[in-house]
Amino acid sequence: MNIDYRCLKQAIAAAAALLVLAACHPSEGGSTAITPTGLPSEGLIARVPLSDFAGIASTTLGSTVANPYEGQQQAIAEGKNLYVKLNCAGCHLYNGKGSMGPDLTDSYWRYGGTPANIYKSIFEGRPHGMPAWGRALPPEDIWKIVSYIESLGGSIKPDQYQAALQGDRPNEQIAPEVAAAAKAEETTAPGIAEALKASSSSTTAPAQASDTQATETSGANHAQGKQ
Amino acid sequence: MQTPPALSGFILVFVALVMTIGASNAQTPPASTPTTSTPATGGAKITLNVAPGDPPGEWHRAARDYANTRYSPLDQINAQNVANLKVAWTFSDGTHNGHEAAPLVIDNTMYLVTPFPNVAYALDLTKAGVPIKWTFEPNPAPLATGKACCDTVNRGGVYVNGKIIYNLLDDHTVAVDAKTGKEVWRTKMGNVENGETMTMAPFAVGNKVYVGNSGGELGVWGYLAALDVDTGKELWRAYSTGTDEQVRIGSDFKPFYSWMKGKDLGKTSWPAGMWKHGGGAVWAWVSYDPDLNLIYYGTSNPGPRVPAQRPGYNLWTSTVFARDANTGMARWAYQFTPHDQWDYDGVNEDVLMDATIDGKARKVLVHFDRNAYAYTIDRATGEVLVAAPFAYLNWSTGIDMKTGMPVVNPAMEPKPNIKLSNVCPPDIGGKDWQPSAVSPRTGLIYAGIFNICMDVTDHPQSYIAGTPYDGMEMQRHPAPGGNWGEFMAWNPATGKKSWTIKEKFMTMSGVLATAGDVVFYGTADGWFRGVDARSGKVLWSYKLGSGVIGQPITYLGPDKKQYVAVYSGVGGAAMVSSKMKGFPPRGSTLYVFSINGESPHSAAGMLTTEGGAAAAEPDATVSGRR
Repeated sequence: MNIDYRCLKQAIAAAAALLVLAACHPSEGGSTAITPTGLPSEGLIARVPLSDFAGIASTTLGSTVANPYEGQQQAIAEGKNLYVKLNCAGCHLYNGKGSMGPDLTDSYWRYGGTPANIYKSIFEGRPHGMPAWGRALPPEDIWKIVSYIESLGGSIKPDQYQAALQGDRPNEQIAPEVAAAAKAEETTAPGIAEALKASSSSTTAPAQASDTQATETSGANHAQGKQ
Repeated sequence: MQTPPALSGFILVFVALVMTIGASNAQTPPASTPTTSTPATGGAKITLNVAPGDPPGEWHRAARDYANTRYSPLDQINAQNVANLKVAWTFSDGTHNGHEAAPLVIDNTMYLVTPFPNVAYALDLTKAGVPIKWTFEPNPAPLATGKACCDTVNRGGVYVNGKIIYNLLDDHTVAVDAKTGKEVWRTKMGNVENGETMTMAPFAVGNKVYVGNSGGELGVWGYLAALDVDTGKELWRAYSTGTDEQVRIGSDFKPFYSWMKGKDLGKTSWPAGMWKHGGGAVWAWVSYDPDLNLIYYGTSNPGPRVPAQRPGYNLWTSTVFARDANTGMARWAYQFTPHDQWDYDGVNEDVLMDATIDGKARKVLVHFDRNAYAYTIDRATGEVLVAAPFAYLNWSTGIDMKTGMPVVNPAMEPKPNIKLSNVCPPDIGGKDWQPSAVSPRTGLIYAGIFNICMDVTDHPQSYIAGTPYDGMEMQRHPAPGGNWGEFMAWNPATGKKSWTIKEKFMTMSGVLATAGDVVFYGTADGWFRGVDARSGKVLWSYKLGSGVIGQPITYLGPDKKQYVAVYSGVGGAAMVSSKMKGFPPRGSTLYVFSINGESPHSAAGMLTTEGGAAAAEPDATVSGRR
């Protein structure tokens, strides 16, 4: 994947991560991340990570996309209807407790449990049997299904994205050293820039050299911006 | 002598039996092939054809013989010494889904097939520690794990012409050279994206190996196919629904009952077009009668599981077929559950025997159906000779013996979107796929059965490829009595139980019957038991690391001593009871027992591993977490 580190950095630096990210994405074609229908754009959703960021210890990026139908009873009801009609219940059961597919009512999410993560799992499918519904359903319907799943109580709130990654639970104790480190937000280790620099000094074929150079440049920018 | 903690409750029995053994000869040679019967009290007069006559100390196919008897002529382990069984050796295969397979033993080598990712192992029984001889990793597609309805199980392989042949969950059949562990051929049998999977143990006769698909809950088109053993080339495929041509029904098809006679019933007994996704998967057992040259097997439930969507008999689902073993052409069929409304697959084993019924010698097949009726059927004609309930049921009030049709209790017919309580048995039946065993010495057939009911709500479905075409919302709970399981001895001539053992947990293991008059079975909570074949008295119980849903076998080691082997690894349909207190964790261990645990595989002193290959390190990721 070709990561545009400069954009990423801007997004992190700016509190309004949604807008900047969208503006930086060449295929986005607009200056806003909110589509005319009020839904998060496909490009924005695509950038929601499934894991931790390489080289970045803390970021809010995973938390930025909320379900546009969050808590709306009508959407939940429509989502439930879709869940049954589209045979979701055949795998995840009518109570969402799982059988062929995973339990959707707990806090264990192999592919992430934030609304955006769940949206992506439905849209993209998952390799152990979950079909991809992105071609079959409009985004509105997928978000409604996400609403229904959220209503089952087991998903993860967007702002708990990193806490879930780290296995945190409400009301847990935090060792003082860990709490102090967590206050230093947006911390980035210089490791990636160093690694890329190191690779540029190695012998490469001419055709690959320019690619390496370009990567190194963005990597350098990234590291530079940290200071 | 140390007694394992699990046996502490049996010390009194144990000591008593040790004393008995002192006075008896525990090392009698293997009995010759039995053919005649000395009925136990309550037993029938029966004869078994144990073709193809494999060596008594070996196990070449899941059911041991063509007739699906799971009867071993070995008798070193008997009612007098079975209490001395202890673990001789174990093998953990590192996969933790349901372990439903039977090990195979050929020429001092044991062959295992694991659940997904369907690794095959050859273990060298001649060496200390039973090391791995070869490891075969077929790497099936992970997508299959989420298309299999009921865990990513596999029911084992078959040994034929120097090859181990088995099915992969992703719809491929593979043949592996038994000596080298190298793939000989691989045949794609279906498209896993359509919800089709394969879990059955292939069945082989001559140069043909028979395989079928799984996926009755996902709207597959069920079939049984014959492949060439040496090349893997498909020779024919007989579908379970569709036109007569597709079902391989021709002019010599003669069902016993008139309501199964007519043209293209596999198509016309459905609403227009619905047969195409009508299920009838073939995911369990095949048996073979060499004299009649017929194979027998059953088909799964119809799809979707909401009966209101598919008025009609839904032929040929929930049906037993008799087919010409060479051509695959159907000779007769019998539908156990016309227009199945409860998910009563007809796939359970058909055990072939010759029995005296009402004073007449009959060639029969005996079948414990999911619908909780046990059938004794004339296997030449398809006539039902005996039909009697073996487990608690309320969906039917009996079988009309003139037509062979069950009489349905209208109160237990589900209607869309209305919750119906206490329907018995539930979807997984009065008995599921777990195969029974028969002893010609006692005239009894032994089976692990269920005592379960369900509350069910039907939700009408649309067919969406790759998703469940199902629609049953269920809660299962024990039937009257409170026990989930039961192990019984059944008289196939009279349709009566000779004795029974109630089990708190589900009994979903295969059964092994032996000439030592000991019968073996396991429970979902991990007890492996040896039972007196005549009286039903439990002589030995051993608690394994996980629940037993595998198929026990017995063999002779290189030391010519008798061993009993079984997988411990709960999963599959037994997970419907996984919230019971005491339900065990999943597991992956093969346990092998011998008298006093003696074997050449363990001893005092420094033994080391002389293996031929390293184990696989399979991706442990699974579809669900239950």
